[in-house]
Amino acid sequence: MAIKNVVSVMAPPEPHFVGDGFRVHNFIPQGSRTGMYRMDPFIMLDYNSAHYFEPSATPRGVGVHPHRGFETVTIAYKGSVAHHDSSGGGGVIGEGDVQWMTAASGVLHKEYHEEQFSKEGGWFQMVQLWVNLPARDKMSAPKYQSITKDQIPRVALPDGHGEVAMIAGAYMDSKGAADTFTPVHLYNAFLHKGGRADFSFPVSYNTALLVVEGSIVINDAETVTTDHFVLFGNAGEDFHITASEDAVVLIMSGEPIKENIVAHGPFVMNNQQEILQAFDDYNQGKFGYLEDQV
Amino acid sequence: MNSSNLKTFLTSNVDMDEQIIREHIENLKKIQVKKGNFLLRQGDVCKHSFFVEEGLLKYYSIDEKGKQHILQFAPEGWFVVDRESAFFNQPSQYFIEALEDSVVTMIDVDMFASLSLHNQSFALFNNKLLHNHIRHLQNRINLLLSATAEERYLDFIRIYPDLLLRVPQTLVASYLGITPESLSRVRKDLATKKHQKQ
Repeated sequence: MAIKNVVSVMAPPEPHFVGDGFRVHNFIPQGSRTGMYRMDPFIMLDYNSAHYFEPSATPRGVGVHPHRGFETVTIAYKGSVAHHDSSGGGGVIGEGDVQWMTAASGVLHKEYHEEQFSKEGGWFQMVQLWVNLPARDKMSAPKYQSITKDQIPRVALPDGHGEVAMIAGAYMDSKGAADTFTPVHLYNAFLHKGGRADFSFPVSYNTALLVVEGSIVINDAETVTTDHFVLFGNAGEDFHITASEDAVVLIMSGEPIKENIVAHGPFVMNNQQEILQAFDDYNQGKFGYLEDQV
Repeated sequence: MNSSNLKTFLTSNVDMDEQIIREHIENLKKIQVKKGNFLLRQGDVCKHSFFVEEGLLKYYSIDEKGKQHILQFAPEGWFVVDRESAFFNQPSQYFIEALEDSVVTMIDVDMFASLSLHNQSFALFNNKLLHNHIRHLQNRINLLLSATAEERYLDFIRIYPDLLLRVPQTLVASYLGITPESLSRVRKDLATKKHQKQ
């Protein structure tokens, strides 16, 4: 099968703060300058590159805010986040854990550095990815998939090259941890120096990767270092990565939903009317209620 | 940036030659205001009417105890001006501050007067804007005197559908003339009512 080529390698854009707890580089949609369609169904990717937070008596984070029409996927590499939502749910996303929240018809939630982590301070590194929902599922009931590190299936690479942890989708015929509404593959590849991993995704899928740690070479040609984001083309299926040093790489590939995207702040719908409805429902309290204090 | 929401606003609302509108707009100064910066401070004389192209402004006073009282939020497409200061040439009692990084068109207060003198349809339009503004203020006075916190809140979300997501609730409470705790209670009550209905 044909090789899937690298289209662009992006250095991390200038970081900005989300609330006071997340110092993020936005790769999708701003970093790629191609809007929300280019990586459909992945419509937003904020990357908090490894950042040291000083100890703080008051946990840093983002206060109560709503979401509707998509899923938020939080992947914790370093540090931990506590979250609460309007349905009474809550928990802690610790190192290696993934929280897959289907906001769908709407939730209110807040996310803060976990209390102990806040008090002690420390290194913090996270990804938040938004996965769009097709029109038929946008108003379905919200749900959570809290996936702890040990619940994420891992496939060992041949010759002790490392392993691939499957957050969603499938790799080498093994299935990932999360259920998705449309076909989505999301992996963390942990490679030892010199280790190689091969991937194959359909031509029509939108594919990208983020080097979270270390550095890699893609298709024996393109060197990519820590915190860089790689966009692949839509010709060819196969690519492989080789670690120049021990590396952690987030790999994403998904079938585009190919529907109209209208986004305003925390709402992602199919048309303007639905956005106005979302504002109205939020103002009217239809997303429920959540206290702003931690 | 060449696009102007002000031009779009005027061309779609005033029965006036687009060329004349363009000529007037072209000379106006468009400025970028960083979050937290001021367009007007207490004691200054207000020289302009501000039209918000992008972003969000707040128009407020600060009382003797240092408490802030918000008269108006001005998101995209809104005008804000201290009329007392601008038209009666008096030092302002108010502040106009950017709540978000904003782009603002500064309209010399004489411009509307001169446009009105030369153009009948603009005069009519300006008159309508003024009446609309008075209606808004009258409604606001009435709500502050007689309405419950919930009624004031419902009016607020009708006028400013997306502001709850853009400003802290303490500022919304300040606009409504209620405590943040009352606002929180109103929102909680509404949410409970909505859930019971479903």
